[in-house]
Amino acid sequence: MKPSAEPRTPTPVKIIIAGGFGVGKTTAVSSISEITPLRTEAAITTASEDADRTAHTPDKTTTTVALDFGCITIDDDIKLYLFGTPGQDRFGFMWRDLVLGALGALVIVDTRRIDECYPAVDYFEKAGLPFVVAVNLFDGRLSHAVADIRWALAIGDHIPLISFDARVKLSVRDALLTVLRTTLARATAPLA
Amino acid sequence: MRDRDVSLLRPYLLTSGRTEPIDRNLELETQVVTSDLGAASHAVLSFERRDIVALCTKPTSVAEIAAILGLHVGVARVLVADLAALGYVAAHRPNADLAGDPAMIERIIRRLEAIS
Repeated sequence: MKPSAEPRTPTPVKIIIAGGFGVGKTTAVSSISEITPLRTEAAITTASEDADRTAHTPDKTTTTVALDFGCITIDDDIKLYLFGTPGQDRFGFMWRDLVLGALGALVIVDTRRIDECYPAVDYFEKAGLPFVVAVNLFDGRLSHAVADIRWALAIGDHIPLISFDARVKLSVRDALLTVLRTTLARATAPLA
Repeated sequence: MRDRDVSLLRPYLLTSGRTEPIDRNLELETQVVTSDLGAASHAVLSFERRDIVALCTKPTSVAEIAAILGLHVGVARVLVADLAALGYVAAHRPNADLAGDPAMIERIIRRLEAIS
């Protein structure tokens, strides 16, 4: 890119993509990001929690967590960042940072491990961040009825529940559009 | 185990023992741009600081800086905050009010809809 005399600095906006390991966060970011998704690491220093039921993490008190992100240039003035973050409770320390100024969140659910997204759903609800729950269709079909998933997640009817395919760019775009429309509805709603 | 060569000691050295950035709330999407002073001071900066000044000749987010230079996010924040305090880079932080601005959200929706 040819540098101009006065390069314009875009205003960054962001959408959070949360979900358990292997649920399709990175895939979703890759499908739509105009840059190869980047990965960086944030240090976690915590006493090991008994909440870690999977027990795959080594028993050390300092570890790192991958933060995947990508971006979409909206126009000369706006750049949309997508931050993928693990959905489990022990990564909650990252959410405070991420949620500030975020437009909204997409919580990706794997119906085989539905409980992994509870903490993210709880957190975004309490933080008042508009969010959408999206079931990633790994094999192109829904293994549970949407009503059952809604029941299992204990989310109200006002929270959109959609299915999408993280591998398909337009499907990811539509999921992000659902998030943005939810955000817009919130922004234009009269105060209750 | 992770195959990245980011040790636990190195970040401390890089940031002279501080683990909190000057502004601990520097958002990951903050756009960092090298100033004229920064560009002119390239030779006097060392290591990661020089890398950041070289990288940010076009606007680059804190997250990208961390990923591209292989730094912990916390370290990238400290270094950027340092450089900004010295005037070597400008940090354009996101405007949190925009998240609730219907016109802005509609604009993003229209642009996303145009993606094919």
